[in-house]
Amino acid sequence: MSSPLPKPASDPQPLWFKDAVTYQLHVKTFADSNGDGIGDFKGLSSKLDYLADLGVTCLWLLPMYPSPFRDDGYDIADYYSIHPSYGTLDDFREFLDAAHARRLRVVTELMLNHTSDQHAWFKEARSSRDNPRRDWYVWSDTDDRYRNVRIIFVDIERSNWAWDPESKAYYWHRFFSHQPDLNYDNPAVREEMWNVMHFWLGLGVDGFQVDAVPYLIERENTSCEGLPETHAVIKFLRSQLDAHFPDRMLLAEANQPPELVRSYFGEGDEFHMAFHFPLMTRMFMAVRLEDRKPLVEVIERTPEIPESCQWGIFLRNHDELTLEMVTDVERAYMIDEYARDPASRIYLGIRRRLAPLLDGDRRRIELMNAMLMSMPGSPIIYYGDEIGMGDNIYLGDRNGVRTPMQWNGGWNAGFSTTDPERLAQPLISNPLFGYQAVNVESQKRADHSLLNWMRKLIAVRQSSLVFSRGQTTFLKPANHRVLAYLRTLGKEQVLCVCNLSSSAQAVELDLESLAGALPIEMFGRSLFPRIGELPYMLTLGPYAFFWFKLRRF
Amino acid sequence: MAQDSVLSDELLHHLMAVGHVDVLVGVPTLNNAGTIRPVVKAVHQAFARYFPRDRSVLINSDGGSDDGTPSLVRNASADDTETVTVSHSLRTVHRISTPYHGVPGKGNALRQIMTAAELIQARAVAVLNADVTGITPEGVAALIRPVRDQQFDYVAPVYQRHPLEGPLVTQLVRPLMRAAYGWQVRDPVAPEFGCSHRFVSHCLEQDVWDTELGRVGIDLWVTAEALAKGFRCCQTGLNPHPATPTRTPFGELFAQVVDSAFACLERHAPYWLGRNGAEPMPLVSPPPTVAVEPPVVNGTRLTEAFALDVENLRSVLQDILSAETLANLEALAEKQPARLRYPDPLWASTVYQFLLAYRGGVMRREHIVQALAPLYLGRTGSFLRQYATSPEPVVDEALENLCREFERSKPDLVRRWNRV
Amino acid sequence: MAQMIANAIRQAGTNFVDSLSVFLPRMVTTLAIIIVGWLIAMLLRTMVRAVAGWLRINVAAERFGVAPLLKTADLAPADVLLGAIVFWLVWLGFLLSGIDVLGFTSLQGLLASFWAFVPRLLLAVVILIIGFVVANFAWRATLLAAVNGHVPSPRLLSGAVRWLILILTGAMALEQIAVARTVVLTAFAIAFGALSLAVAIAFGIGGGGIAKRILEHQFPEQPRSSADEISHL
Repeated sequence: MSSPLPKPASDPQPLWFKDAVTYQLHVKTFADSNGDGIGDFKGLSSKLDYLADLGVTCLWLLPMYPSPFRDDGYDIADYYSIHPSYGTLDDFREFLDAAHARRLRVVTELMLNHTSDQHAWFKEARSSRDNPRRDWYVWSDTDDRYRNVRIIFVDIERSNWAWDPESKAYYWHRFFSHQPDLNYDNPAVREEMWNVMHFWLGLGVDGFQVDAVPYLIERENTSCEGLPETHAVIKFLRSQLDAHFPDRMLLAEANQPPELVRSYFGEGDEFHMAFHFPLMTRMFMAVRLEDRKPLVEVIERTPEIPESCQWGIFLRNHDELTLEMVTDVERAYMIDEYARDPASRIYLGIRRRLAPLLDGDRRRIELMNAMLMSMPGSPIIYYGDEIGMGDNIYLGDRNGVRTPMQWNGGWNAGFSTTDPERLAQPLISNPLFGYQAVNVESQKRADHSLLNWMRKLIAVRQSSLVFSRGQTTFLKPANHRVLAYLRTLGKEQVLCVCNLSSSAQAVELDLESLAGALPIEMFGRSLFPRIGELPYMLTLGPYAFFWFKLRRF
Repeated sequence: MAQDSVLSDELLHHLMAVGHVDVLVGVPTLNNAGTIRPVVKAVHQAFARYFPRDRSVLINSDGGSDDGTPSLVRNASADDTETVTVSHSLRTVHRISTPYHGVPGKGNALRQIMTAAELIQARAVAVLNADVTGITPEGVAALIRPVRDQQFDYVAPVYQRHPLEGPLVTQLVRPLMRAAYGWQVRDPVAPEFGCSHRFVSHCLEQDVWDTELGRVGIDLWVTAEALAKGFRCCQTGLNPHPATPTRTPFGELFAQVVDSAFACLERHAPYWLGRNGAEPMPLVSPPPTVAVEPPVVNGTRLTEAFALDVENLRSVLQDILSAETLANLEALAEKQPARLRYPDPLWASTVYQFLLAYRGGVMRREHIVQALAPLYLGRTGSFLRQYATSPEPVVDEALENLCREFERSKPDLVRRWNRV
Repeated sequence: MAQMIANAIRQAGTNFVDSLSVFLPRMVTTLAIIIVGWLIAMLLRTMVRAVAGWLRINVAAERFGVAPLLKTADLAPADVLLGAIVFWLVWLGFLLSGIDVLGFTSLQGLLASFWAFVPRLLLAVVILIIGFVVANFAWRATLLAAVNGHVPSPRLLSGAVRWLILILTGAMALEQIAVARTVVLTAFAIAFGALSLAVAIAFGIGGGGIAKRILEHQFPEQPRSSADEISHL
């Protein structure tokens, strides 16, 4: 059977993102080519073979724009350039071409909501009240407009207004005070942001992950999140995109319950993709509780989205594991189970990587990845999780999960030739997760390493479109420790059975509707007994899972 | 072909699905359609509110109800609109309703519940009574917490009741068990209790289940067994216990309770013969203080038949009681019913002599117990009449004195026990 | 003449000696049987007493109310009594067997009927014992049930039950040993019938109220006694 490999950008396939397996990375910590301790695009280019070999089909880069780096690059000082530490615009172009040549698409991050206070626009805007760019930001003489709007970085900021001593006025910032919000009520702002997008799309970028979308527009007596006017802005940008670059993708980062995120898909006229945040939390909860209930509930509560849209699902990312959208009981449980060390808690979440969260338990890591690869949506892998990298919760903010990629057990883990003391972020070096124990080179040589296992997993997933495009139906066997679901696409059916428990389990599945089908286990291609009308008995080892392709003859 | 075992295939199926649990609540039923739904609701609210992270299950052991009790249990909604937002459960909610084999009775139901609890490694087990309304989530939690958090093996309930209520317990069973076993248990015949996995395993190994004691006196036996075999026991306060609207007529009820009590004492003789005094039992949480109404009883009516009964039963009583005791009873009988006063020492002595006769088998045991019934009525009537208008503390004091009288006469009992 | 007398006497003497020679060995055998029988009977008595002691027959006798009856009748306690019965029966058997050896034809018939009689006698004794036990049990059970059920005249009732059973038993035992069979049977039938009639008349006419109360006792609408008005547990 031919596998649906992504076609290069020159070969337009508008729904490529539905079948993509994305790899999220930060240029800064991936590979350093010039020995300054900071990763760059030349370094990244040199690692493209590794990524292509892993089997991913799309790369998502964290912000690479010039920035004073007070928020790890999310405070942008120039939209049309590359941060000098990462290289030049030409380096970027070369990287893009090399990626496309290996059939890897590239999605970059676009911060629409705010800029750095070092951005030229803001410098102009604050210089005087009459400046033409004044209106590009949101100003006020008092700080009691838009009252009762929640503060996002509760640990750091005390208000959404900051006082500008230069122009003697308050400016609005939903995030850090050094990140003033752009004013999208101003059509000039909208036009300019489209120009920004146009610029990068013209270079060949395949899409944007748009940050902080709910916060674009403010209105009095509202939560200032997800307002209709915000959606209007998005529709505008999307319509421009469709007109000029119909095969590119917009991915929304909206940390909200799925029922609210639904609105960012519009009727297929806003974002193509959006993250499904609660699924991540509930996967961790289900494995800890050894009960499928939280997971099944969240998926069954997820609303239908337009046919041309797709959820983005992930286990971990560059931010904390958010516990914003769970009940108090659930949050207390997650904190007690996953974040016993208070240093690992930040804002309303847990700042840890996948492997430390799962106690380095290989079986659990495999199970979680298998669930990720078979749940409805496009999976996103966070760099380093494919080898089981560790974290450093004693670094500030969320830098603990943004440490240099561990390529080998040698000098600076193969990330950079510079002095270790000069590295932008310190390496993880403890005996359990440190680079001497966990690195790409060692895992390439070990047949049963996590890296090789992940390659196999991705390959199996990509062998069938049923995972990326199929319907999902949950079977609900009496044994609540077993999660079982059927993925269906046309005539193709795959049965996924996962044991969420640390002890072996037996489960009887009611597969009467599938009677007559022959299950073939997808990793080893072994034949399993044909499904009959009686309940189908399966036994699973601790944290084991099966993917069965169901064939009929 | 497997015989009808305690573990039916259906129950086994359910247990396999539920897997190991931390908390198990068992509810035996037989035609309790009228009262079962609040019980199920209280249990689930207790799970959600007080044990949200524990793996839990409710098992209903049904003796063959024909009023739809099992389906009421299965369909009872676990969620109450008010609790959904406050605390919905993290985990899958489990509820099993299964019939048990054998003669309908608490013994067989309890055996099934305990077998299930043992198999799925339930750390804390609570058994509830489906006969009465008024069970609250707090009550359920009160039976479970001492086992789960404080490593007790057995939790007996303490109900807030007026001391004039439940004379069969206050006049006979409580002082007798207290003096014998040496523990101040307020309600030895309680139909509700909590216990640990260790205790469950132990009970299942005992040979009581196929006996008469297991059939009608299992509540008493459980308490006695916990005391006699050195388990860590405590008491916990539960809500006011409404007077059980018992369907059993007095004669049968009396026979069951007293026969069970005597049988327990006989079984556990090696334990209590050497035990002196009566230790207070730790009270983990006191019962809620609610003002209880004194029951409306006419003590005199109970004593009306006393004299005649004593005279009629003389030929039987002389085989059981000593000549002196019998003479004292006859002297009492000569008094008018309204002035009958059955003194504590005589009553204690009466009970003990009946116990000895029971042990010695001077006649059929059923007859011995039946012969005690009229004397009990006389004693109860005299007590109720004497304290009908007294305030609670006075009555409590009188009951305490009765218990002490039983303790005082115990050495004599022990001496004569060994001689039989 | 004297010769004939002498011959006769000689003949008689010879006959006598002949019969004696036949009789003496038999006599010896008889004595032997009797003595051996006595020894065996003694042995069996001791064994029975021992077995009775091991089976705690005395305790059972106490329980079933047989012991006081024995005491009143000035009989030995149950195990001794049982031993004595066994002793006498066995020894009597041997005795009669021994006499049988002597060959007295008239006694043969007696012996035969004796052997036919013994099992029936045993059966009658067994019936009597069972009857005693049942009567006693019924007496006590009725007494207690009547007292607890507040049925009037419990002693009278229980006594009547006991005597009825005893009479029935006695009649059955007598019938077994076939003593004045017809007479006993008829007398019993008449007595039983008359008694039943008397009771029915008394109950129906004089005891209508009681009958009503007893029926209500069986099928109660309200608490039937003050004891049921309060909750004891």
